[in-house]
Amino acid sequence: MRRLLPLLFGVVVLALWEAAVRLNNVPEYIVPGPIAILRALGKDGADLLAGLVVTLEVTVAALLLAVLTGGGFAFLLAQSRLAEQTLFPYAVFLQVTPIVTIAPFVIIWVPNVFVVLLILAWMAAVFPILSNTLLGLKSADANLRDLFRLYGASRWQTARRLLLPSALPYFLGGFRISGGLALIGTVVAEMVAGTSGTRSGLASRLLEASYRLELARAMACFVLLSAAGFAIYWLLDILSRRLLRHWHESAKDT
Amino acid sequence: MNEAVTLRGVTKTFQTGTSALSPVDLAIAAGSFVSLVGPSGCGKSTLLRMIAGLLDPSGGEIARAWTAGPQGIGFVFQDATLMPWANVAKNVSLPLEIAGLPHDGVAEAIARVGLEGFAQSYPRELSGGMRMRASIARAIVAKPSVLLMDEPFAALDEFTRFRLNDDLLALWQANRWTVIFVTHSIREAVFLSERVIVMSPRPGRVVADMPILFSQPRAAALRNDHAFTDVCARVGAALGEAQAA
Ligand SMILES: Nc1ncnc2c1ncn2[C@@H]1O[C@H](COP(=O)(O)OP(=O)(O)O)[C@@H](O)[C@H]1O
Ligand SMILES: [Mg+2]
Repeated sequence: MRRLLPLLFGVVVLALWEAAVRLNNVPEYIVPGPIAILRALGKDGADLLAGLVVTLEVTVAALLLAVLTGGGFAFLLAQSRLAEQTLFPYAVFLQVTPIVTIAPFVIIWVPNVFVVLLILAWMAAVFPILSNTLLGLKSADANLRDLFRLYGASRWQTARRLLLPSALPYFLGGFRISGGLALIGTVVAEMVAGTSGTRSGLASRLLEASYRLELARAMACFVLLSAAGFAIYWLLDILSRRLLRHWHESAKDT
Repeated sequence: MNEAVTLRGVTKTFQTGTSALSPVDLAIAAGSFVSLVGPSGCGKSTLLRMIAGLLDPSGGEIARAWTAGPQGIGFVFQDATLMPWANVAKNVSLPLEIAGLPHDGVAEAIARVGLEGFAQSYPRELSGGMRMRASIARAIVAKPSVLLMDEPFAALDEFTRFRLNDDLLALWQANRWTVIFVTHSIREAVFLSERVIVMSPRPGRVVADMPILFSQPRAAALRNDHAFTDVCARVGAALGEAQAA
């Protein structure tokens, strides 16, 4: 029963919305009701899904790139305190710079739109993975480190059997945050880069529809993007629980 | 007599300026069970880590008769210090894995500490006592010639501690490794050891070196013996004197 409460709440809000729109005769190009949005979803479904696929391609590619570069970079920084002190501030720079302020330069320098979007989404997504993984690599148990040393473990053995598993829960925490950020980054990048045509992503289509005052279609885009964000979070959450289920407190059986 | 380890004038001053040990001279016979007792913070862990080679002494020298790696030395910490992401079998086989030794003997080591049937269990599924047993199995799996133990049972309840003491003693009887055992429990030290070394408060030094002559194998009933209580009282007195001085 309690699990149904959020659903019930949502249905009530949508019903009130629809009622308010109908009773006040608000035109669809100002505020579309939920039913109009659903209709737009049905009518333009295939078209919008094609846009969603384009957006998700960029998102997933940026996220994978963030995992590779963020994880790899964290591993390098963990090797030396000096390297960390020298380079970490630049990682912070990536994090605190709003990507819209960098987008114009990237758009000028990079001819391929996909690559532009990829770079911008990657910039949005990489920091949580980098900083969390670095923290994880550094929090390996000190006594276990001593034990590895005592038994004459090589650098590689210590990395593979001690540092990487110790860092895994931290990495996954960053991964879940970065999943959402990669989508946000892609959406912002699409809106700034202004892609168009059949290969344009869902966020560009949202923007176009809003320019044409097709608000029902624009909101349908919005609904799909939100759903995609939820799905990404949910998938990464499942992945994280599976990987940690035997040993980490965060993944205790529920 | 064959020495497992000899310390000559070993001192330790940390970079923070803390002087943890005044010169320590100590020779430990191969195959003996020796306990180190002393007040908290007197440098017992520091001494043990230097014996293991995990920490360099600031002065003096340490001569070790064992080879590097898991066939030379095993170490047990106060916490079980298991890898939480690996099951008991994987934890116990870690030293063999690192040293590239064959993995036979894992099941035997697990059986010897009484953990049959738990090879596939993860640390968080085990009680504190069982985790410590797994930790001991890991330390002995490669049959090391010396076993260093740093207050291994301090975090356990007394009942569990007594059972682990009895089992450890039986293991030592059967294998005759050199055991250097740090504890702050006088009764535990006297019950287990052939020799008890008493240290002064920081900077630690050896203030008493007492042979414990009860015959081996020792039975649990020894703990209730008057002679046992007397020896404990003498060790306690030496410890008290060191603290007062
Ligand atoms: N890495 C370190 N740096 C500075 N001081 C330390 C370090 N390790 C231990 N000490 C100090 O050395 C003293 C002895 O510590 P320790 O050997 O752990 O004592 P014990 O094991 O007998 O309780 C303590 O005062 C402790 O604070
Ligand atoms: Mg200690």
